Amino acid sequence: MIRVDEITREYRQWKRYAGLMGSIRGLFSREYTTINAVNQVSFTIDQGEAVGYIGPNGAGKSTMIKMLTGILVPTAGELTVNNLIPHMNRKEIAKHIGIVFGQRSQLWWDLPVSDSFELHKRIYHVSDEAYRKNMDIFMELLNLKAFISQPVRQLSLGQRMRAEIGLALLHDPEIIFLDEPTIGLDVVAKDSIRSFLKYINKERNATIFLTSHDLKDIEEICPRLLIVNQGKLIFDGAVRDFKANISSGKLLTIEFQFDPGTLEFEDAILIADEGARKMYKIEKGLSFINTFIGRISEKYIITDFSLQDYDIEQVIRMYYQGLESESDLQGDLSKVVS
Amino acid sequence: MAIVQKAFLRNMSYRFEIWLRLIGNISVVFIQISIWSALLGTGAIEGIDLSTMITYSIISTSVSMILMYQMIHTIDGKLKNGDIAMDLLKPISFPILMFFDQVGNICFQVLCTLVPTIVISSLLFGLTFPHEWTTLLLFFIAILFAVLISFFISYLIALISFWFLTTFALEWMFTALITVFSGSFLPLWFFSKEWRGVAEMLPFQFLGFIPAAIFMETIEGMEVLWVLVKGVLWIITLWIIVQLLWRRAIRRLVLQGG
Repeated sequence: MIRVDEITREYRQWKRYAGLMGSIRGLFSREYTTINAVNQVSFTIDQGEAVGYIGPNGAGKSTMIKMLTGILVPTAGELTVNNLIPHMNRKEIAKHIGIVFGQRSQLWWDLPVSDSFELHKRIYHVSDEAYRKNMDIFMELLNLKAFISQPVRQLSLGQRMRAEIGLALLHDPEIIFLDEPTIGLDVVAKDSIRSFLKYINKERNATIFLTSHDLKDIEEICPRLLIVNQGKLIFDGAVRDFKANISSGKLLTIEFQFDPGTLEFEDAILIADEGARKMYKIEKGLSFINTFIGRISEKYIITDFSLQDYDIEQVIRMYYQGLESESDLQGDLSKVVS
Repeated sequence: MAIVQKAFLRNMSYRFEIWLRLIGNISVVFIQISIWSALLGTGAIEGIDLSTMITYSIISTSVSMILMYQMIHTIDGKLKNGDIAMDLLKPISFPILMFFDQVGNICFQVLCTLVPTIVISSLLFGLTFPHEWTTLLLFFIAILFAVLISFFISYLIALISFWFLTTFALEWMFTALITVFSGSFLPLWFFSKEWRGVAEMLPFQFLGFIPAAIFMETIEGMEVLWVLVKGVLWIITLWIIVQLLWRRAIRRLVLQGG
């Protein structure tokens, strides 16, 4: 379905110089630095899979979607979608994919929502029957009927996003690319979008490729997770495995009355130190934590402590930080992940 | 096509702008006529009198209304904010999409500003109509050429902006060239021999002078035929250049943002 093999995409950044003289120099200078937005990434996705593609800002997520949809040519490596090379067969592939960019719009800004759907029907040659059938579903599940005759510019962000998703799915695409579809939405709107995408994935066996900063999106929609950082793929596996591996540990936050200085213990790894407030990562059970707190409270005055499970978001955040600072945590967590 | 209809409707959604454009167009005609009546008075220069110039002003202003220069800004905007990606992701060729989008704009212009402008200004200033129906036919062919050539020139400018990511300076230059060599400001009749030769070599004359001159029957017989052949040659040439550049532009495409 989707096969990505050692894909690399470079960007050139022209060197700019500071100040007035610098900007004049910039007019003539042809120096540039090369940035690898995507660096030798490989994966395959089968028909009907739902995959979450996550990473911090600038990790190359959008670049990957652009290459998969054929509007950006990879610098190196091979990439096929439906056995076609996207950038050589852009129009052919376009018929089989649906795309939603959270920060862009396919809707006609000045016209009622329904007009955009009619135009899409013509552009993608959707039959009257299929059009009616899909519109009935969208009206119901995305609740389009509430605003179908309003001009797009008058819609709320949540309404607009639902319309965008409906529009992208009008021609029954086999693959759906979503680039941060829930960005800036409230909880209710996010929920309706998630359940709709799940429905489409199940009922139509459509492949979903989703990027998001909201990990709840991924947890609910996608069984499989790909994590990228600085252009490199650093995790590829089931969301369940990812969570199972790390949820055995707990996070213990202790607040001291006074800053006790650096406190290091065996079996409790200090992962955040804000002076009087320290966070430990503990792999052992509750009884260990009990005695651990008891031991500390003998020496220092503890004002408060809390215990929590990891949620996926925290772990990934630690994972990113670990990668950036090359701290002890990195080795520790990548052990967990791999 | 559906795209034409939607573009038309999009324009309709701003009623206030329709009125402003109408007033603007009539003002342009009025200013030109005032200048010419001051220059010509009741006399004539090289056989051109005031009533000829009135007709010329109305026609060339009207023609310039339906040309596709707007597209430069449309494409430039799409390129700057990255929306061009959305258009490229549709199973329809981008130039064709843009062309029909512009046709929609033109239909709107014809109905809402062109016809009223012609009616109102011919009532105010008087318009000399052609004597023969074949002239009208030729005039419409010339209009078609003007539309196509304006499409290709605008598209060419927009394409070059794929490389520089800005169109301002280039558009400025082309606007100057078009203003002078299309004859919309000063008819080619008044050009010196050398300059007229230059103007006739360029495609810009089709954007104002040729339609107006055909309408007024100052170009006739074999000369019309020759002009139209030249027009066809220009359309083919521009089409080839645009095709080549479009392929290369796509290859080069580095989308902004994201």
